[in-house]
Amino acid sequence: MAEKKMIYLQPTPVRIWHWLNALGIVTLCVTGAQIRFPEYVPLFGNYKNAILLHNTAGFVVAISFSIWFFYYAFVARSMGKIYVPTKDDLQSGILRQAKFYFLTYFLGWENPHHPSPEDKFNPLQKSAYLAIMFVLVPLVSLSGILLTNVDPLRGLIIMVGGLKILMGLHFLLACSLCAFLFTHIYLATLGHTPFAHFKPMWTGWEEELEEHHSPAAH
Amino acid sequence: MKNASKPRFMWLCILLVLLFPLGALAMDSEECQGCHGDIDSVGEDLYINEAAYGHTAHSGMGCMACHEEVSDEHPDDGASISASSCSDCHEEVETEYMASAHAENATCGDCHNPHTALGLADVSGHDMNQQCSNCHENTDVVESHADWLPQADLHVAKLPCISCHTGSEDYVIILHIIQKESEAAFGDFEISKHQDLQALAGDKKVQSLVDLNSDNFISLAELRTFNRNPDYKSMRLQATMTPKEASHSVKTLDNRWDCSFCHTSGTENMQTSFLALPNDEGTFSRIEVEEGAVLHALTGTPDFYMMGTTRSASLNIIGLLIIIGGTLMPIGHGTLRFLTRKNRKH
Ligand code: HEC
Ligand code: HEC
Ligand code: HEC
Ligand code: HEC
Ligand code: HEC
Ligand code: HEC
Ligand code: HEM
Repeated sequence: MAEKKMIYLQPTPVRIWHWLNALGIVTLCVTGAQIRFPEYVPLFGNYKNAILLHNTAGFVVAISFSIWFFYYAFVARSMGKIYVPTKDDLQSGILRQAKFYFLTYFLGWENPHHPSPEDKFNPLQKSAYLAIMFVLVPLVSLSGILLTNVDPLRGLIIMVGGLKILMGLHFLLACSLCAFLFTHIYLATLGHTPFAHFKPMWTGWEEELEEHHSPAAH
Repeated sequence: MKNASKPRFMWLCILLVLLFPLGALAMDSEECQGCHGDIDSVGEDLYINEAAYGHTAHSGMGCMACHEEVSDEHPDDGASISASSCSDCHEEVETEYMASAHAENATCGDCHNPHTALGLADVSGHDMNQQCSNCHENTDVVESHADWLPQADLHVAKLPCISCHTGSEDYVIILHIIQKESEAAFGDFEISKHQDLQALAGDKKVQSLVDLNSDNFISLAELRTFNRNPDYKSMRLQATMTPKEASHSVKTLDNRWDCSFCHTSGTENMQTSFLALPNDEGTFSRIEVEEGAVLHALTGTPDFYMMGTTRSASLNIIGLLIIIGGTLMPIGHGTLRFLTRKNRKH
């Protein structure tokens, strides 16, 4: 049978980043909804509160993004290894992982990917996180910075195509992040127990099951 | 409103001309301007700029309408000349303004020069704010408003003060053509001058730059053509929210604290927009723009967006679809996961 082995999967800076980021993004989604639809989402008292909270949360996300970036790029120096899919991942890994999520998972087979600190994510996660962390989050943050400085940065905004295009971009990217959030939280419950992935994100330690023959987890 | 009063004015002038046969009682405006229109003969303080004066509604009345007591001996008699009070003719405005607390701070003449006074539709928001900045220094206003107003610099730069500080109830969107003052990427934009636009229009009227078929109405298609024309790349449309009618109840209204007075899906009038084109004398003429210009997702007014107010419905739908897309995984996968839960029990 399987025996438990603990591995230190999520270092402290990553955990701090992640929960700051999660809190920030959820706040941004909700306040953003109020800012765009003030008649329908009067959650934070008045409009001004929503804006101040939104701007603050944006600031928190930008800071936590820097923690994340700084840690992976300069301290752990594992950003490329962890986040960039390898040729192998692209050629067969993604398919293999998709097959697991959409077919063999239901049959009770085992996850073909076993996380280790050096190879934390399965190929699908890698691609998704890469898109989120290197495209979506930076773009939303940049457009947000422009939007909080419309007057001084007007020249730049016009280079982007104008305030409306920038606003549309910010809005649609934000919707994408919100969509990611649903999928992300759901996928995180697909561990061998529903909370198996949440625990390491909180404590840092993952319970890896050393199993050699039995095809499925508990 | 202005157009309606023009004919009335002409009659007033004719009446005045009939009542005061030229030269019989006193000098006419032209004579006055012989001296007062010449800065060298009267000096700066007594100079009346003929061009600026000529475009005011007041000019139609003649100098004597307000300076009744000018004698034939003027200026040699040294007699001081009276000037009628604004309230003689603008009773309603006077009553409204005198009831405001601001009446203690400024008189009509502090904000208006009777020799250059123009109507609401003839001036840009910037011109209006010029009147206030004589006493309320712009940097001070930005600083004090920033205490409570997000993006105070933007609000103060783009909105007429009277949009927040008078009891106006209805607003219209006014579009101006602006252009960069220098080639620098962060160069300031200023409202295009008549000469600049005329140079682009060539021998056609300035209006034809945007109003392609010159029907005094700008359709969304015309607006889009203007926005996309690479020849006009240096120009952008800027918009602001101006009271539909000028009110003089100068004060701080409670509901202007509430951002959603403006930032909420627009009232009827917020759908009404005009393009204000500069005339060669520095005033503006308004041309109506088809409804929905500020709401259009990308093209109508690319540089004008009021949060909560001018959101585009089509983008809302795309956004919603994206979010729904994000819930498909939890819902679809979750259902199958539930149905096949036995397979994972060993
Ligand atoms: C011959 C040149 C001349 C003409 C014509 C003339 N003015 Fe003057 N006006 C002057 C001068 C010079 C003064 C300054 C007199 C002084 O300081 O005593 C003056 C002063 C004034 C003042 C200021 C007086 C004050 O008390 O402050 C007014 C108002 C005025 N003129 C109105 C008029 C009007 C209206 C007309 C036409 C009906 C007119 N003037 C025609 C030369 C002229
Ligand atoms: C709508 C009324 C009105 C008309 C029309 C008018 N004025 Fe005046 N004018 C005034 C008032 C009011 C003042 C006093 C301004 C003040 O005390 O600040 C004044 C002041 C003046 C002065 C004193 C200098 C100054 O600018 O304060 C001169 C000179 C003058 N007017 C000349 C003329 C001439 C010449 C004309 C015609 C071309 C004319 N005005 C038309 C209302 C008028
Ligand atoms: C002799 C009568 C008379 C006097 C005195 C007078 N006005 Fe006027 N004013 C008019 C008329 C007539 C109009 C044009 C009709 C209208 O638009 O209401 C007008 C229009 C205006 C306008 C709007 C211009 C436009 O194009 O619509 C302003 C601003 C104005 N007056 C300010 C003043 C001020 C300030 C004073 C006092 C210094 C003053 N007026 C004194 C008669 C007068
Ligand atoms: C605190 C500044 C201020 C004071 C004081 C003031 N006004 Fe005005 N007034 C404005 C502004 C701003 C407008 C908008 C149009 C413009 O700027 O010309 C305006 C517009 C007007 C108009 C044109 C309205 C229209 O519909 O076009 C008239 C007439 C007028 N004022 C008369 C007066 C009279 C008479 C007084 C004195 C009782 C007075 N104003 C005092 C700021 C002021
Ligand atoms: C002649 C000078 C002068 C001009 C011009 C002037 N103001 Fe004022 N205003 C004052 C003074 C003085 C006060 C009182 C001190 C203060 O609050 O700054 C005041 C106060 C105010 C207040 C605060 C009143 C309150 O009840 O809290 C507002 C709002 C205001 N002005 C708006 C305007 C606007 C808008 C304009 C232009 C259309 C304008 N003012 C033009 C002198 C002026
Ligand atoms: C977005 C709406 C808005 C605009 C635009 C705006 N104000 Fe205000 N202003 C307010 C409100 C609301 C207050 C009351 C805030 C307070 O008392 O702290 C206020 C307060 C003031 C005061 C009194 C308090 C102080 O700061 O001294 C003055 C004077 C004033 N505004 C002048 C101006 C002038 C001049 C302009 C144009 C350059 C302007 N405002 C533009 C909304 C606005
Ligand atoms: C309340 C909201 C959130 C919850 C509950 C949550 C949960 C989790 C969990 C359990 C993990 C570990 C599992 C795994 O490695 O896949 C994880 C990792 C991760 N999450 Fe989230 N998350 C949330 C919000 C977000 C947001 C908003 C983002 C990005 C915009 C995000 C980006 C990531 C990334 C990039 C990882 C991998 C981190 C790493 O190890 O480097 N998460 N999340």
